[in-house]
Amino acid sequence: MEKRVSDFEVIFNPRSVAVIGASDNPGKLGFHVMKSLTQGRYPGRIFPVNPGKNEIFGIRSFASLSHIPDAVDLSIIVLPAEQVPKMIKECGVKGTTGIVLITAGFREIEDKRGEALQKEITELANQFRIKIIGPNTFGIINLHLPLNASFTPEFSGVEKGKIGLVSQSGGMSHLMAFLSMKNRLGFSKIIGLGNRCNVDFADMVDYLMEDPETGVIAMYLEGMDHPRRLMEVAKKGRGGKPILAYKAGRSRTGDEASQFHTGSLAGRHEIYEGAFRQAGVLTVGSSDELLDSAKALSLCPLPKGNRVAVLSGQAGPGMAVCDVVEEEGLSLEPFSAKTQRRIEELLPPLAIRSNPVDMGPAWYDSEAIKGIVQTVLEDKSIDALILCIMFASANRASVGLLSELLLQRSTEKPILCCFSSPEGIWDEEIRLLEQSGIPNYSTPERAAKSLANLVHFRKMAERGNSRENR
Amino acid sequence: MRIDEILSKARGEERNSLLYTEAKELIENWGILTAPSRIARNREEVLPAALSIGFPVVMKILSPDVIHKSDIGGVFTGLNREEELIHAYEMIEDNSRKAKPAIRMQGVVIEKMLSGIEVIIGVATDSQFGHVLMFGMGGIFVELLKDISFRLIPIEPADAQEMIYGVKGFPLLEGYRGKKGDIEGLKGLLLLNLA
Repeated sequence: MEKRVSDFEVIFNPRSVAVIGASDNPGKLGFHVMKSLTQGRYPGRIFPVNPGKNEIFGIRSFASLSHIPDAVDLSIIVLPAEQVPKMIKECGVKGTTGIVLITAGFREIEDKRGEALQKEITELANQFRIKIIGPNTFGIINLHLPLNASFTPEFSGVEKGKIGLVSQSGGMSHLMAFLSMKNRLGFSKIIGLGNRCNVDFADMVDYLMEDPETGVIAMYLEGMDHPRRLMEVAKKGRGGKPILAYKAGRSRTGDEASQFHTGSLAGRHEIYEGAFRQAGVLTVGSSDELLDSAKALSLCPLPKGNRVAVLSGQAGPGMAVCDVVEEEGLSLEPFSAKTQRRIEELLPPLAIRSNPVDMGPAWYDSEAIKGIVQTVLEDKSIDALILCIMFASANRASVGLLSELLLQRSTEKPILCCFSSPEGIWDEEIRLLEQSGIPNYSTPERAAKSLANLVHFRKMAERGNSRENR
Repeated sequence: MRIDEILSKARGEERNSLLYTEAKELIENWGILTAPSRIARNREEVLPAALSIGFPVVMKILSPDVIHKSDIGGVFTGLNREEELIHAYEMIEDNSRKAKPAIRMQGVVIEKMLSGIEVIIGVATDSQFGHVLMFGMGGIFVELLKDISFRLIPIEPADAQEMIYGVKGFPLLEGYRGKKGDIEGLKGLLLLNLA
């Protein structure tokens, strides 16, 4: 059967892109968009549009869209707001599928004309059946094509991966992209929705749920006109790809909630939380948590239950993990008798040998560390592992040996690590581990919180009837 | 249908709140149990009303001019004797006149004093989400600690379960020091999906 190619499929994988307002003047956004496309090694055809130029970035430029001899799948518009309606009509005549509308000065401005202009362009776009990403967006990036249709060429430096990020804020998208470069987090798409005229979160989640390059959908939201649509789309996908939401605006709830029974407005943020929960969307409380959890969900298998083993090279980081694990309602389950016996064979009775295990006394015996991890991995009463080792000169070999063990075997249990060393010591091991589905975190607490979110997500996806802990 | 009558009467009078008697009838029509109650139109009717219900009782002002009854000193709880009833009645008369000199006091409501675990269930229309359902532990839990959970209407049985299990005060419902809540009953209430 022939599958109809969706508009968004074309928008994120265009065969050709026109840049309306392209420029070779670095003082113009049209310059940076051209730089993003060219430096980002976009494989399709680029058509700069600028009536005053024959050539921009060494590419033949056109006076208007109508002068382009070929079809244009996607137009990026960087012209002043008042010229936008005319350009949308031209895109309509040209048969463009989508527009990335970077131009600002619409609904977000105080001047009422902005609102009117946004209404006008939305009607035009609907009339011509064009999807507009924006206005007031930095753009979109498809790291797999690659397509960097944004005004920030540096987005092309983000690693290719499975996380689809949809954001209402350009600033938060930039922040998360740059954080991810440091944390080696891979993205499929980065999408700036801006003011959302006819493309909203619901449309993007619907698209990304079907997108084979996306495994996890991460959203940053501020507010929506029609939140129910998003909830319905997410609910339809329950049990499929994980969807995460970081919703800003907690602080405004005040004490409105207590007046709920009088019919006055309830804390909007709390309604969002409840609605997300109802739709099977995992809510997180910070940009770090959004990225950490997206990383875990994109790399790890889901745990079968909430029984966690904590194995650490030093007592302190293990304790920090335990605090978070218990707060989140996970269980530090006792090991099976067999596992416990084996650990006692491997470790001298100098530190804690039950869960959490302090492997400190085995510093000079990396084989013992390896043995402990191996036996705990095999223990049927454990669903997930957290490993923490802080570098010390004497335990330098431990992470290498551990990664050897972990890379050899495929396990159905999620393993999350906090291996920490000065730069250049364990980097390669950590990189290899992450490539094979074992994420590393900068702190034990972040590793623990990410595991907790894996457990919460699995429960939500399955709609278990067990006691929930928030 | 009685429910529609009550609502259209309130709308016709351009009220955005229901009178006590209307509210009570409405909830009973939906099949929600309420505390046994009687209306006493004057001081003389107070004692017979209380005796027919049985002590202890609660007394609340009945007036179309008051929504938040306890805010103006219009609610007395745990009344066990005739003297307490009369005292409460006089206090309510005094307090309400002090709060609103032109108040139309139509008497008081005498209700059976119930004890147990207090919860709150609310429905509201949010401008963006439409009909929204709230559940929380009552009293200070909702007012001070905001221990509440929301879902969009309609909800499914699993949502009702999660709403109840999700509040921090849930262990109280599950059973603590000899008291426990009727969790299945609460689920049934939430699943009425009233909106």
